[in-house]
Amino acid sequence: MFLKLALKSLLNRKGSVLLTLMAMTVSVSVLFAVEHVRHQAKESFSNTVSGVDLIVGARTGSLNLLLYSVFRMGSPTNNIAWESFEEVAANPQVKWAIPIALGDSHKGYRVMGTTPEYFEFFSYGNRHQLSFNKGRAFDQVFDVVLGSDVANKLDYSLGEKLVLSHGVASTSFSQHDDHPFTVVGILEPTGTPVDRTLHVSLQGIEAIHIDWQHGVKIPGRHLTTEQIEKLDLRPKNITAFMLGLKSRIATFRVQRDINNYSKEPIMAILPGVALSELWQMMGILENTLFIVAILVFIAAVLGLSAMLLSTIRDRSHEIQLLRVIGAPPGFLFLLIELEAVLITLSSIILGATFLTIGLHSSQDILTHFGLHISKNIFSASTLYFILSIIAASIVAAAIPSLNAYTKAKKF
Amino acid sequence: MTINLSNVCFTYPDTPDKPVLNIPSWTVQTGEKVFIYGPSGGGKSTLLNLLSGMLAPSGGDVSVLGERLDKMNQRQCDRFRATHIGYVFQQFNLVPYLNAIENIQLAAHFCEGEKTDIKQEIEALLTKLNIKPDDWHKPANKLSIGQQQRVAIARALINRPQLLIADEPTSSLDQHNRDNFMAILMSLIDEHNITLVFVSHDMSLSQHFARTDAMSDINDFSGAH
Repeated sequence: MFLKLALKSLLNRKGSVLLTLMAMTVSVSVLFAVEHVRHQAKESFSNTVSGVDLIVGARTGSLNLLLYSVFRMGSPTNNIAWESFEEVAANPQVKWAIPIALGDSHKGYRVMGTTPEYFEFFSYGNRHQLSFNKGRAFDQVFDVVLGSDVANKLDYSLGEKLVLSHGVASTSFSQHDDHPFTVVGILEPTGTPVDRTLHVSLQGIEAIHIDWQHGVKIPGRHLTTEQIEKLDLRPKNITAFMLGLKSRIATFRVQRDINNYSKEPIMAILPGVALSELWQMMGILENTLFIVAILVFIAAVLGLSAMLLSTIRDRSHEIQLLRVIGAPPGFLFLLIELEAVLITLSSIILGATFLTIGLHSSQDILTHFGLHISKNIFSASTLYFILSIIAASIVAAAIPSLNAYTKAKKF
Repeated sequence: MTINLSNVCFTYPDTPDKPVLNIPSWTVQTGEKVFIYGPSGGGKSTLLNLLSGMLAPSGGDVSVLGERLDKMNQRQCDRFRATHIGYVFQQFNLVPYLNAIENIQLAAHFCEGEKTDIKQEIEALLTKLNIKPDDWHKPANKLSIGQQQRVAIARALINRPQLLIADEPTSSLDQHNRDNFMAILMSLIDEHNITLVFVSHDMSLSQHFARTDAMSDINDFSGAH
């Protein structure tokens, strides 16, 4: 009866209730979205790389090195010589070393030259290794292994041939169309930038640039694929490399050794430290967004409270009637509170629905920005979050509810 | 004895030097039907609010159905009113967005004790009050004033009160509806042997009552000064 009274009373005032509900829904959606994205983004970021002790590249900012080597964002400042890589990899503390060479792309997806060991040693999340959904690692010069997103979005399957573009823009005018690559493997989804990467051998990267100079093809010079495969394709330089050490205790010593390397300006970073530095930077933005979302919510809740307060005046006959048939003043207080909670609950349901629909339709854009956002917005913390939204609306609705209470007491 | 007031006085707290009521003694016997008339501002509404426990007297004894209302706290008064007293106003007797049945159910909701066949009882009562089944599920504000006042009787009687208080219930009705309303009210009152206190400024209604009191006789201002 109590619930029916509150529901029918709200339905009786459709216009103002609907507008308030819309304001609440918008604010709850914004709150949910910010909360969801900040959790997911943090997870997504810190899951990107694990099991790598050091990342080495040309001397630059540590964030820059992390961004281009792991997140495939931005451009490498400089290359490092193959000899430097060999020298560092020969350090007795080094268990494994994986070179990476960046700079080419395919339809907007970055191409990374590396060695087959990459698939063995690189791990993400909670020490998950890369695994193959189909096929195998590359072993020929013109083999390519696709990340799962690349394969899905561009609809490639094993055995298909594709052409790489010079540079990292999505529309490149210089295609390496003289030497197509064959898809030999497709990786399982990881939720990291690996999904959006094409992996080829270092020799492959070397081979497609062999008859190029300064970023353009040398006219009149053309080698066939067979000729190239016979050449010595030892790379002259690479973009960066990842190191796994025999003992983690040695990390700082090896880092210092690399930073003091005298033949070339190179540096080593600890991915975990760089990731948290990156996250700290994002944290300011994240907190600002959250504060704005909370302010929007407060505005909407105050709107709800104002709407309820203005109706109390129109309902004085109703309050008097309820008192005469025996409703205690507390009943009136609870009735107004219940109306507020009903509006809040509806707005939570609507907001969650809109957000889920929004996440489903914006998945492409999000992955493009390197964020892997889960479509499921519900987690254990969501419950507390919903409860605090309801609690906030109860507190705000105490103003009109108390007004109804004192009015009821006076009759 | 259903009502027994002695030395009751009432002043609103914001105007303490202007007493509204001063009743040395006033009683109503069980089953009696009392018509009270008087001009507005004579303290009629205040008297009814004292009888229903909505207001507490500033002094004196208010005894209704053998219970001392002036000794009860507000919660007890609310429960007592819901269970033992029916109340009909001049207008706004129903929650406008609930239908006739829901309005009556709401009144039953605040009454003590479980009722099992409440739905059947409501339907029987509405039939007796000449409300067609088509109108049972219409929101109250879609009913005519005459229908609303008749549903109000059903709402007031659903908890089988021993005392019915009517505050100008016919003042917004036309001649035909008023006669209709009075006839139904009186027959139900007699049927259930309910004590009735009926307030109006319309003297022509006094023909329905055996006892007629002037408000100016009940309320003795001279004693207050």
